[in-house]
Amino acid sequence: MMRTALYATVAVWLLGACSMGPGEPTEDQRGDGTDTIELAEFPDRPYWGDTHLHTDISVDAFGFGVRLGAEEALKFARGDKVTATTGMEAQLDRPLDFLVISDHSDAMGATRRLYDAPRMLVRDPTLRRWYDMMHESPEQSTRAVAELITAAANDEIPEALRDPARQAAATRELWDTHLAMLDRYNRPGEFTAFAGFEWTLMPDGNNLHRVVMFRDGSVKTGQVVPFPGLDTTPEQLWDYMEAYEANTGGRVLAIPHNSNLSNGMMFDLVGPDGGAMGADYARRRARYEPVVEATQIKGDSETHPFLSPNDEFAAFGVAGWELGNLPLTRRSTPEMYAGSYVRSALLRGLTLEQQMGVNPYAFGLIGSTDSHTALATGDEDNFFGKHTGSEPRAQRALAAQNLGTREGRFGWHYLAGGYAAAWARGNTRAEIFDAFMRREVYATTGPRMALRLFAGFDFVEDDWDGDWVRTGYTRGVPMGGDLEDSGRAPVFLISALKDPDGANLDRVQVIKGWVDANGQAQERVYDVAWSDMDGERRRVGGKVPAVGDTVVRREATYENSIGAAELRATWRDPDYRAGQRAFYYVRAIEIPTPSWVLFDARRFGFDLPPEVVEANVIQERAYSSPVWLRPRRGPGDAPRIMDEG
Amino acid sequence: MIRTLLRDPLAHFLLAGAAIWGALALIGDPVDPASRTIELSRERQAGIALGFERMMGRPPTDAEMDAAIARWVREEVLYREALRLGIDQGDAVVRRRLATKMDELAGAEAEVVRPTDAVLDEWLADNAERYAEGRAVSFAQAFFPSEKTARDARGGLAPPRGTAISLPRSVDAMELAEVEAVFGREFASGLSALSADETWQGPVRSGFGWHLVRLDRRTAGSVPALDEIRERVEADWRSTTIAERRQRAYEVLRAAYTVEVE
Repeated sequence: MMRTALYATVAVWLLGACSMGPGEPTEDQRGDGTDTIELAEFPDRPYWGDTHLHTDISVDAFGFGVRLGAEEALKFARGDKVTATTGMEAQLDRPLDFLVISDHSDAMGATRRLYDAPRMLVRDPTLRRWYDMMHESPEQSTRAVAELITAAANDEIPEALRDPARQAAATRELWDTHLAMLDRYNRPGEFTAFAGFEWTLMPDGNNLHRVVMFRDGSVKTGQVVPFPGLDTTPEQLWDYMEAYEANTGGRVLAIPHNSNLSNGMMFDLVGPDGGAMGADYARRRARYEPVVEATQIKGDSETHPFLSPNDEFAAFGVAGWELGNLPLTRRSTPEMYAGSYVRSALLRGLTLEQQMGVNPYAFGLIGSTDSHTALATGDEDNFFGKHTGSEPRAQRALAAQNLGTREGRFGWHYLAGGYAAAWARGNTRAEIFDAFMRREVYATTGPRMALRLFAGFDFVEDDWDGDWVRTGYTRGVPMGGDLEDSGRAPVFLISALKDPDGANLDRVQVIKGWVDANGQAQERVYDVAWSDMDGERRRVGGKVPAVGDTVVRREATYENSIGAAELRATWRDPDYRAGQRAFYYVRAIEIPTPSWVLFDARRFGFDLPPEVVEANVIQERAYSSPVWLRPRRGPGDAPRIMDEG
Repeated sequence: MIRTLLRDPLAHFLLAGAAIWGALALIGDPVDPASRTIELSRERQAGIALGFERMMGRPPTDAEMDAAIARWVREEVLYREALRLGIDQGDAVVRRRLATKMDELAGAEAEVVRPTDAVLDEWLADNAERYAEGRAVSFAQAFFPSEKTARDARGGLAPPRGTAISLPRSVDAMELAEVEAVFGREFASGLSALSADETWQGPVRSGFGWHLVRLDRRTAGSVPALDEIRERVEADWRSTTIAERRQRAYEVLRAAYTVEVE
């Protein structure tokens, strides 16, 4: 009795407390960061971030067990020590510069609400079963989420989870709280916290997911709520984005990811109705989706050995994931791959541009984690898993995955995750977002190498002796830029500087894609610089020999006794043809190092099958955004898409 | 001792709890779930009206007030019946909710209290490193791929040539965190052994190789005055204090229990 009264008093007390809220953010923290810090003249260093992280309000992450929310995620990303859900202390070796928390918009917070609801109120038999599974054990909870993902893939989500009115009201409240939290941790010049969400469209289980990322603070982002993926289309997502920009004066972009699990649908040659792709569709896609996530925990989407048979580095992060779509409800066949990997998508973009004057797939590349633990870990020796069920413990590398294990996906197929690098003039929302918009960004599989690419027509070897970065910006375009054909072969200034705390570099390559005179898409990989290239390591039969291998498998160690600290090239395209449509991007490859699986085996002391050991001596890499070479415009040509950007 | 106790937030918490408890015991219990009489005091009605106003931004009309009261009464009836049936017992969710409320109660005071400057100054002093700005260095460096080439290039005031690498040849007042991000941790910690003068020193090792370094200036860095960073300090103080209070409140309560595991 008395207790009742006491709690009533407490409740009133707490109500009063909530309205005040702890630590209001300043004006600078609430905005987009314009005019808050001094900016460099040119982008002077890569800023490191993760654009793809889930916390306890993601419907699946909570079910997988995560109990950390946005605040812990932000603290962890900026370098603080936090306690992971399973009780271990977790800290990044080096802080990140920015973070996009991208919880699923569909049923945002719903599993957390379901879990907390009184059982008697859960009427739907499916939901009640999931409720019981979630309360029974972590294993059962994970199983419940796998069922939920499959249900989403098969369009069988219980009505109670998809009722738009009910979701909207619940989402509004979560979103407002979330935005306030982001502003509090957003510190111009030190750490940037972006608002975002994941839009999770998955027809038949084929992954068409996008991360949506806002440039603005809560004043603008608070005027919308995250847009649901179930029962909507990409065009409707762009409508939402367009309306946001028109109504608030803010900016927003979308980042497709896991095209490798889309069974060819992510980068289709045809329009959404199966007919020819319209120019309007292509224009909007290019406008709202300037960047694609090329690598993350669920595999690498750069290319596939089937598509790039002459590329000896094409198989990275492909195993397991190539088998089918996300829940492996549908298997992949090779003819689907061209629509699933980014290099072939860039090629398709050239072909489509030739046909209709607009390139829908002229995107830059980034990496991210897609971690569902609220911990943005990308390092091999500090991998906290895809989700809470795969946080560090013995044998997790050999354990079944929640998705498609019977068909051949195992724990060790997970990559440790990638990061996004943005060349910006300072660390603010506006500066980093704008780098994404102009595609001056690149992907890495985790290591923080500094990768520069400038393209022009008159760069020369001597440019390296002076202030070559200034030269690059003033006499050429950086990665993500467009060159108009001048009748001469383009020349590139390329520099890859190793991660200061990581492994040396094996080689730097240029990947060129073009449409030949017969209208056929072609690709070629050029080795343009490699370690010891003037010494022992000469080309043999046109091929650069392998760099060597210092990895001690059982110890999970390597030595920087091979490879180079920096590789530079002044590279002129030897196969240039006037009038050719082409793209060029750079791939920088590290010497072999142990993957997280070998670190696990050492840490927990267990044996791996020999083929798993060998598959986990890896060569990590960075992918630059491309530069496009476009035919000179005639007077009658339609205006090009990038002129709008 | 008494003084310390008076300043101790935990003591405040326990005292406040005892006071509420005592007051309730004196007044008797106005809301007895076993009773089938529901009294709607003026305070309660005002509370319902206020709740409406908070939600809708205006006071309720008479009809809306009647409806709101009816809803409250309905909830109260069901609530009392639920207690009568013992539905609150053995329910994992109710159990956790109540535990969470206890946690929130322990931290609640820290949520609203405006800490004095003295409290924040003390916090700032104890956590100075977190707020130090301008711990910076100005230096010039020349890079060498091997330790031997670096040693051979030493001597004299003239800048050694070094090997080309895409790192800044000189930096002006670069914060240490930035030095770590650009040059790596090994190099940043190597700088601490150097003296700030006009000589080329080293070699200092980095993840890239070896560097000869002329350390022009080292700024110890300073902690900004509380005024400049008050919001940030207050937010940090608050979140840490809430966590501490919860933990200490729990420890006090926990000490009274014996846990027997079969």
